[in-house]
Amino acid sequence: MAKSAEKTKKSKSKKVFTPNIVAFACNWCSYAGADAAGVNRLQHSPNFRIIRTMCSGRVTPAFVLKAFNAGADGVLVSGCHFGDCHYIFGNHKAVEQFDKTKALVKTLGLDERRVRLEWVSAAEGPRWAELINEFVEQITALGPSPLNHKKK
Amino acid sequence: MDAGRHPNIEVLTNSELTGLNGRAGNFRAQVRKHPRYVKEDRCTGCGQCVEDCPVVVPNEFEVGMGGRKAIYTPFAQAVPNTYIIDKDHCLNEEFLVCSNCATNCDRDAIFFDDKGEDVEIEVGAVILATGFEVYDTSAISSYGYGLYDNVLTNMELERVLNASGPTQGHIVRPSDHKPPKKIAFIQCVGSRGEGGEAGCEYCSRFCCMNAIKDCMLFKQHEPDIEELVVYYIDMRAAGKGFEEFYQRSFDMPEIKYVRGRPSKITEDPETMDLIVQVENGETGEIYHHRVDMAILSAGAVAPKSNEKLAEVLGIELDGNGFFSLDTKYGSPLHTSKEGVFVCGCAAGVNDISDSVAMASGAAAEAEGYAAKLRVEEEPVEIKELDMSGPPRIGVFLCHCGINIAGVLDVEGLKDSVANLPGVAYVENNMFLCADEGQRMMQEKIIEHNLNRVVAAACTPRTHEPIFQDSCEQIGLNPYLFEMVNVRDQCSWVHTNHPETATDKAKDLIRMGVAKARHLQPLYRSKINITQSVLVIGGGVAGMRAALDLDAQGFKVYLIEKQGRLGGMLNHLTKVYPANLSAVDLARTMVEKMKSSRVEVMTSTELNSISGFIGNFDVSTTNGDFKVGAIILATGAETYKPVDEFGYGEYDNVITNIELEGILHEAKDKIEIRGGVPETVVFIQCVGSRDPEKNAGCSRYCCPTTIKQAVRLRENGVNVVVLHRDMRTVGAKSEEHYRHARALGVKFVRYTPERLPKVIGNGKKANNVEILELALNRLLEIPTDYIVLATGMVPNQTSNSHLHEILKIPQGADGFFMERHAKLGPVETTTEGVFLAGCVSGPRDIADSIAQGSAAAAKVACFIAKDKVTLDPTTCTVDQTLCRACGQCVEICDYLAPSLTMISPGVMAAQINQALCKGCGTCASWCPTGAISSLHFTDEQINSMIDALFEEQKV
Repeated sequence: MAKSAEKTKKSKSKKVFTPNIVAFACNWCSYAGADAAGVNRLQHSPNFRIIRTMCSGRVTPAFVLKAFNAGADGVLVSGCHFGDCHYIFGNHKAVEQFDKTKALVKTLGLDERRVRLEWVSAAEGPRWAELINEFVEQITALGPSPLNHKKK
Repeated sequence: MDAGRHPNIEVLTNSELTGLNGRAGNFRAQVRKHPRYVKEDRCTGCGQCVEDCPVVVPNEFEVGMGGRKAIYTPFAQAVPNTYIIDKDHCLNEEFLVCSNCATNCDRDAIFFDDKGEDVEIEVGAVILATGFEVYDTSAISSYGYGLYDNVLTNMELERVLNASGPTQGHIVRPSDHKPPKKIAFIQCVGSRGEGGEAGCEYCSRFCCMNAIKDCMLFKQHEPDIEELVVYYIDMRAAGKGFEEFYQRSFDMPEIKYVRGRPSKITEDPETMDLIVQVENGETGEIYHHRVDMAILSAGAVAPKSNEKLAEVLGIELDGNGFFSLDTKYGSPLHTSKEGVFVCGCAAGVNDISDSVAMASGAAAEAEGYAAKLRVEEEPVEIKELDMSGPPRIGVFLCHCGINIAGVLDVEGLKDSVANLPGVAYVENNMFLCADEGQRMMQEKIIEHNLNRVVAAACTPRTHEPIFQDSCEQIGLNPYLFEMVNVRDQCSWVHTNHPETATDKAKDLIRMGVAKARHLQPLYRSKINITQSVLVIGGGVAGMRAALDLDAQGFKVYLIEKQGRLGGMLNHLTKVYPANLSAVDLARTMVEKMKSSRVEVMTSTELNSISGFIGNFDVSTTNGDFKVGAIILATGAETYKPVDEFGYGEYDNVITNIELEGILHEAKDKIEIRGGVPETVVFIQCVGSRDPEKNAGCSRYCCPTTIKQAVRLRENGVNVVVLHRDMRTVGAKSEEHYRHARALGVKFVRYTPERLPKVIGNGKKANNVEILELALNRLLEIPTDYIVLATGMVPNQTSNSHLHEILKIPQGADGFFMERHAKLGPVETTTEGVFLAGCVSGPRDIADSIAQGSAAAAKVACFIAKDKVTLDPTTCTVDQTLCRACGQCVEICDYLAPSLTMISPGVMAAQINQALCKGCGTCASWCPTGAISSLHFTDEQINSMIDALFEEQKV
């Protein structure tokens, strides 16, 4: 059964674009929120891969650019809500970093909608699931990243 | 498992307390170690004996649904994992000399002549945690348990739903092994009964939530299920987050809740379907409901062995067979004998989080007697494994029963991992976190000279420390371990897409392996700690915590915003269940506080707290000091009704807290605002169970209303209680509810769709209009007074102030979040900061006291030592790359980085490891790449990104 499923998947992947999304999630809020979605079995799109960092402030523009260079179609950076950061103001720093990221993404000729900075708390499993579905939809609508396309 | 491997815990299984002499602090306990017939020190748990044993008997752990041998381990994760021979079934007892197990045991561990052993141990205190047994549902013959195949108990269902259970987690009905489509749950089987054979009088408390959870699980396992009907009396979702969980189940149209207690179950002999006969309690309609399977929600009863134990200890049992409490201190932990404490279901029925809090609380009380027995920790020397050379990565894939393996193709994963660079070994395991799984992992690390380990399992947030411990035990640096989350963030959330979920898991594991290739060993350092504690809040929880810590000899500061201690107790009259005077209880505790060494500061507010675990600098309006740990016990507030049910509009509408004050003042005659009431109507759930205001159940209000209603009724007042469900959970609550009904208190149900309406004129309410459900008619109840049972809400100002200072996460309900809803009820995500009482959710006095003690125990655990171990996952500076720009100094909120002169004229940054929290923000900021965020280095994260897209590139 697993094999036939594999086949259908392969034939599908030629026709339908399924985006590759990298999600940087902070350990205390967003990663925990993604876990909370799991605990509550909130089904959502599987087209993303989480990289855990301790704080959203850890995510340098370089990580995001590297992800695009490697083949990502979209990148999500997610941390705690303001006032909720485990490291007091790490998320404020993330905003500053993200502004730089966005500017660089634009310089590269990418649509700035391919990057997003969002806040999801440890209790917000439903919000995490919604956010992922929404972002996957958005990136699917934007199509494959032009950088990614060139590589192929 | 943790207890089993703890150096200070000696576990005596298969043993019984036969005597207790001496007094608190100096007991001598006689313990009978029953024969096991297998030598613990020889048995390796290989399982050969089990294979060779010819006898199969029903397995108690599987509630008889599976088999076991006459030599067996009770269940997979049993501690110790040594086999035991069941002499009642062993053939050797029958003079049919079998000895298969003994003959084939390579280790000569079988010892048929084992006579057991009597030992005497010296102990300071005794804690009773004997738990509960499940009510024998065959006693209620009309439900046909034992007669009809498809009638199961909730405990049997738990096993059926369990991946390692008798059906491997597949839900089938016993008669024909087909998946059931229609299922009925029957609540309160053996609970809330008439006593005796018909079941206990009390509410078993866990079964409502258990049924809701099982319904949700059913629906998840079997998406085509047609109908899940729960027949219930009151839905008692009374606990933190429970009501919200109940509400969520309404989103599944298959789950239906019907008020009614079925009178009988019969079986259709042809189809083996069951016919449940029931009267709908709301419509009065009597009907027959045909289902494929019926689940009896069996209640909890006291273990029979309690009787013998009570005799040995010289203490009493209550009428239900649980250990009696000494209610003198309002504490749910003290028995009538000094130095003997009780927790969990040994004291009556409790749910998991309350049992865990009680257990910690009992430990704190016991520590008061055992503190003098503390010994210096002996440093354990473990020889470090050789971790040099190129990475040899071991990848361990956990099935987590069917949680992971039921969705992901684990064999496919295994194949995909095997060829990744650096991977030297791959192995699957049913439960990697179980003792056996851990041991296997340790063995394989040594056997294959692995120097990096990856576990693909659940979430690192809960399980990384467990796996890291296992690595450390065998000398592998714990920071050479990496965890991949393929359960919470994969199999659980992509259940319906197994192949894409498997693809995702492959990517995630490849990323984890890539990171593992770049992992470096890190070493923990130790710093001194201040062995004193700050308790914020002088209510029952705060006072209890302070007293317990003082009894153990720790310096305690307690600050209270108000001018006096006591908190909520000062506003109450009697405290249920024992009808203890709140004033007396407050006075006793305050007096104890006075005679203790606790430094109490009333009318004191907190200004700020800085520092970290073991070293907090506290600034208050009454001076500054240093502490090693902090307990938040600031309580909650009662909901203030605004323009609801005529409150504020009519003078004769009051809250339950106002009534409490009135009842407290009342001497012979009860007068409410100058009038003597003839009729009083209570309205329940004001500001509770309402998603607009406060979604949760406040838990305290139902028993409080009962207490107040009984007091009024005893004074000749007519009392009517308008409620949604009477949630009288907790000690003696159900019995009090029954007593209230016997006294003539009337209970009328309303629904949230049709709230009671208060009708009045001028400043006086005259009637309450309510839709009587059974009659489907509007009733007008004339009344003199209306009492609103107000819920409990978080104290917004104080909570946001504390949140700002301490960064403890708050839940959606505004209460502080505990580290783990079930297993860490008084801990927070911030080390050194603990919670007690209503600060984390609505609680009554007894539960708050238990939490106060629990927080004290958790604090004592680490301030008993004079040093604290620091996490090495901090940031470090490569000073040769640093150009001393000072940006890291500027952005760090913990003041960890600073600039120093490293050689004449050369400045560079350095980071204080004790202050650094390891967020890594400075590393992302550093323009030269001089700062590394250890365990999350640029190299490690970049390698994960590369690995993710490797597959596509090929």
